[in-house]
Amino acid sequence: MGIRVGVDVGGTFTDVVLLGDDGRLVARKVSSTPEDYSRGIAEGVAAALADSEAAPGDVASVVHATTVATNTILEQKGARTGLITTRGFRDVLEMRRLRIPVMYDLQYEKPAPLVPRRLRREVDERLGPDGTVRRELDAASLDAAVAELRREGVEAAAVSLLHAYANPAHERRVADRLRESFPNGLYVTCSSDILPEIREYERTSTAVVNAYIGPVVQRYMETLLGRLRDLGVGCPVHIMQSSGGVMSVEAAGRKPACMVESGPAAGVMACARLARGAGLDNLISFDMGGTTAKAAMVEGGQAAKTTEFEVGGGINLSSRLIKGGGYPVKLPFVDVSEIGAGGGSICRVDGVGQTSVGPQSAGAVPGPVCYDLGGVDPTLTDALVAIGYLNPGYLVGGSLPLNTAKALAVLEEKVARPLDRPVAEAAHGVLALACATMTRAVKAVTTYRGRDPRDFVLAAFGGNGPVLGVEIARALQIRRVLVPPVPGVFSALGLLYSDVEQEFVQTVMIRAEGAEADTVAAAFDSLEAEAREAMIADGFSAEAVTVERLADLRYAGQAYELTVPVAPGTPDLQDMARAFDREHERTYGHPSEGDPVDLVNVKVLARVAVHAANPDRHLLPPPPATLGAPRDVYFGPADGTLETAVVARTDLTADWNEGPVIVEEYDATCVVPPGCRARLDAFGNIDIAVDTRP
Amino acid sequence: MTRKIDPITFEVVRNALSSIADEMALVVLRSAYSPVVRDAMDYSTAVCDRHGQVVAQGLTLAVQLGSFPDVMEVLLREFRDDMAPGDIFICNDPYGSGGQHLPDLYVIKPLFVDGAVRGYAATMAHHSDVGGIAPGSVAIHATEIYQEGLRLPLLKLYEAGEPDRKLFRIIEKNTRSPVQVLGDLRAQLAACRIAERGFGQLVDRYGVKKLETYLKELHDFAETRMRAEIARIPDGTYRFVDWIDGVGDDPEPLPIAVTVTVEGDAITLDFAGSAGQVPAAINCPMAMVRSAAYCAIRCLATDDVPNCEGYMRPIRMSAPAGTIVNPVEPAACAARGVIGYRVFDAIMGAIAEAVPDLVIAGCEGGPTLFSVGGHHEGKPFVLTEVLVSTWGARAARDGVEGISNPAANLSNQPVELIEAELPLEVTRYGLVPDSGGAGKHRGGLASVREFRFLAERSEFTIRTDRRDHPPYGIAGGGPGAASANTLIDRDGEHDVATMPMKSFIARRGDTFRMVSAGGGGYGDPRGRDPYAVLADVRDEKLTRESARDVYGVVVSEEGKPATPSAVPRRPVRR
Repeated sequence: MGIRVGVDVGGTFTDVVLLGDDGRLVARKVSSTPEDYSRGIAEGVAAALADSEAAPGDVASVVHATTVATNTILEQKGARTGLITTRGFRDVLEMRRLRIPVMYDLQYEKPAPLVPRRLRREVDERLGPDGTVRRELDAASLDAAVAELRREGVEAAAVSLLHAYANPAHERRVADRLRESFPNGLYVTCSSDILPEIREYERTSTAVVNAYIGPVVQRYMETLLGRLRDLGVGCPVHIMQSSGGVMSVEAAGRKPACMVESGPAAGVMACARLARGAGLDNLISFDMGGTTAKAAMVEGGQAAKTTEFEVGGGINLSSRLIKGGGYPVKLPFVDVSEIGAGGGSICRVDGVGQTSVGPQSAGAVPGPVCYDLGGVDPTLTDALVAIGYLNPGYLVGGSLPLNTAKALAVLEEKVARPLDRPVAEAAHGVLALACATMTRAVKAVTTYRGRDPRDFVLAAFGGNGPVLGVEIARALQIRRVLVPPVPGVFSALGLLYSDVEQEFVQTVMIRAEGAEADTVAAAFDSLEAEAREAMIADGFSAEAVTVERLADLRYAGQAYELTVPVAPGTPDLQDMARAFDREHERTYGHPSEGDPVDLVNVKVLARVAVHAANPDRHLLPPPPATLGAPRDVYFGPADGTLETAVVARTDLTADWNEGPVIVEEYDATCVVPPGCRARLDAFGNIDIAVDTRP
Repeated sequence: MTRKIDPITFEVVRNALSSIADEMALVVLRSAYSPVVRDAMDYSTAVCDRHGQVVAQGLTLAVQLGSFPDVMEVLLREFRDDMAPGDIFICNDPYGSGGQHLPDLYVIKPLFVDGAVRGYAATMAHHSDVGGIAPGSVAIHATEIYQEGLRLPLLKLYEAGEPDRKLFRIIEKNTRSPVQVLGDLRAQLAACRIAERGFGQLVDRYGVKKLETYLKELHDFAETRMRAEIARIPDGTYRFVDWIDGVGDDPEPLPIAVTVTVEGDAITLDFAGSAGQVPAAINCPMAMVRSAAYCAIRCLATDDVPNCEGYMRPIRMSAPAGTIVNPVEPAACAARGVIGYRVFDAIMGAIAEAVPDLVIAGCEGGPTLFSVGGHHEGKPFVLTEVLVSTWGARAARDGVEGISNPAANLSNQPVELIEAELPLEVTRYGLVPDSGGAGKHRGGLASVREFRFLAERSEFTIRTDRRDHPPYGIAGGGPGAASANTLIDRDGEHDVATMPMKSFIARRGDTFRMVSAGGGGYGDPRGRDPYAVLADVRDEKLTRESARDVYGVVVSEEGKPATPSAVPRRPVRR
């Protein structure tokens, strides 16, 4: 089937992974090129192809995770976008849900709406909640609104009318009128197409985000395809979605809002595959890089999902509670919580001795003080170098030498002295504090969902994940940590293990008790037909498509739904309601059995497995030629400083190796503290038994 | 600086406590039934130490920051020697039990470790209905608390793990919306159980003694922080009087007077001079006055102060008994929020003299409370709306519009959900042009929300304010536009008073429109950046007439002057 290529673009690095038929794995990290990310991608792919001595024509598929959608919003560089909405509701987008993510801050500013008021226009029309037309769409008001948007020269438009989830007819007429009035083309998104779900603000916001980034994403895709063609790579390209599934480039152009969290999702999908491969049901994915740490939950081999996300909402610590800081997109997301704590996070001690790590980051430039590029604030990386967790001569394979003396000096001056502690103890304190913060990211996806982290194995990856994985596990009383092969480019590898996936949703809003099973069956059937049609339109054969049915339910009166799987065929509404009772109990600790249950949405997930032919085993890149000598490492006040062996992954055996030991690789460092034991499992993972004494 | 404790462990413990309080808040939010809890987020969660002092509070409503101390004090006084594992307490009574008004049900669980109370999980939620003379239990026209619904002194809702079924039955029979009330109570109980688990893990990890040392340190630290913040405010005595429009059709204005005295690192607030208590349900029990005042002072802090009780130590408060800010039984208090939010405004107004850069001009005045209920197609319905809208301007910024009051952090209810569940149609929800107070930085725009009644007969009550006394401006800024309530029926449009002493009956097809007040402005409007004026005109937030008359900026009909000189200034008509 040829070579498969995974490309994960981040702010600092572009990670490329090549996987051959024979399981041979080639990893390459190159600098990202923010002025045109496709250039860095082309360079990375070319370099990786050269490493593997393969021809561009051998590449059978490319799967890509990109930050282009998110960056377009963060940098406010989207299309000039208009919005057409129902008379009386022009300001829904700007009023938002009123709530803000901070309290006691009288200087707060709300994020500016992606469509300013002058570009939001109203039409006379009205639907009822059941989709009945209460007032016909008035042609004159539509003409006026369209003329206004023409005059303003918009490049994209969103259409979001009240209750359009129940009846898309008016929105479609508005969209048609818009398209015919802009002969040079206009990117149009209807709320009923992108999210036919009740709640006007969330639906409008999702449609607006989609329209706002649509033209930019389409241009990006064209450039990328051109670059790859120039390289001789003419195979299909798939894009990672926030849900963990992949989609065609064409689908991505239509629904770019589906890809805003494509990078973080890739890492979690890699973990899901790791869990299935290793025969583990429950896994916490812990991905830590230079600026943030991300956590997610894999349960029963599947990544946990959510539909609540705010783009640009800053740090996404359980977005469910702290709301209003960004631009909501209510589409399927792998439930990833993110904390501003990474290697570059700055440590501060204020005048009264309060200590914090992050969320400010020294970034890649100037970076931590030990990079010697002009950084002046102590960072977590400085602390890790100071206590010996990181090898100053061996970061990114030795290409980035670190200045330990400077790290020690800045920690002494700005942390140890204000806290009146020895420098090693203070540096270890920085680590402990970073771990405490990151623990909340893990809790946000586990305890906040009613799950006990002690029932999970922690998979640690990303550049810094394997350094701190065991400390995080200890803080949460997790007994086992896995560090997968190529941990530094693990997310890119995950791209190659994701299915093609699209989710379709329809609000039905009916009481489960007493509802006609046939009505629900009809809703599922029509959604399923739509889903299959879309997959076939994307070039897949009808036989390759599998579908899964899901339902969003809640007790009558609640505002938030829980999702349960539904068996194929005519649905049994009683079974659905009982499955919901169980899920409610698991999540919130109590069911309200006997209370009426509302079926809010039916959903269909269409899927095509594209990685079925992937090899079972990977042939790993060779270990580094030179390894550091044993070194002194400070493991905290209880253990003190210990001479610690430094080994390559392949030096570990299937028998338990007693800690302390440090595993150094091209793309990451794995620390096994004293009291813990490590071994290499059959899949090449470092398997660590954690000593969970408090 | 040397401390007895390890600063790192201190931060870790603090982090863990906040995480428990947030998790409690999340459980309530996700599993609650009634819109006022689940969408308006009118609830609060906290973890307390064994002395009943709040050590961490969930991120919900700012003004509820101080909502637990009073009730915790009563709980410890009355039940200290009468608590067993599995006990859970409930109360709502403002007179003698530390409550704020009857719809706010407190649910508190002592957290036992090895047979002794080591802390408390506390939750408070505004319930959709606890009986009384009108749906929603927040009617203004109650004149005594006996008319306001079910009064619960501190009682055990669970005893040693067993629910008191009689009490549950009494609650169920005293509300118009038993499914919602019991559902929300279950959510509160679930939050307390979650806290028990998290708190237990903390004790396991650090041991009782060490944990208590850190909790004590947390209070001390917050106190130190707060004192440092107060010390930055120039010493002096600052006075301000803000006004409530008053109740009924012919309202008599009610003063909220505050004297703020800053002395070094301590602050004293005295509410002497405020109006006497009134025979209407706006009297504000001291528990909420304190809460609003803590919130106002906390907003002046420029650094991160932990939300624990220690920071309240440098703040002293007094209010004469029998006033609207410290009523005595049997004063009615269901709609007391209007006074609570005005306490916040009055303190801001006073402090503005000392630290004008840290304050905010008058906001919309706190939530408008609109409750509607009746029967439709054989079933009862109730909706309580808590409408918030806009901020006053700041020294360097315009007011924010489409936002919750700074003393609140409320959400709005989706129009589509309201229409799907209730016999109501929302016909308009948005910003009101020209309503922001004029200024170098203008106040936020008011918002309008308009309902059409679809049931044959609906009964509603309304509590608003800020019509005769609109939100004040600062440093030469103008006041925000006044609020308005209008009932539109087959006979035409009728003004509805801000705080009418009655409920109204609406027929099918009638419309009720609520326009909030706009935010106050900051600084001289003639100093406003002409391009900011132009942007407002283009966004139809300001009319061309107002741009010319108030700001002296002439904008062409197309709204597109090519150069700055195309924005001529004219003398301002004042």
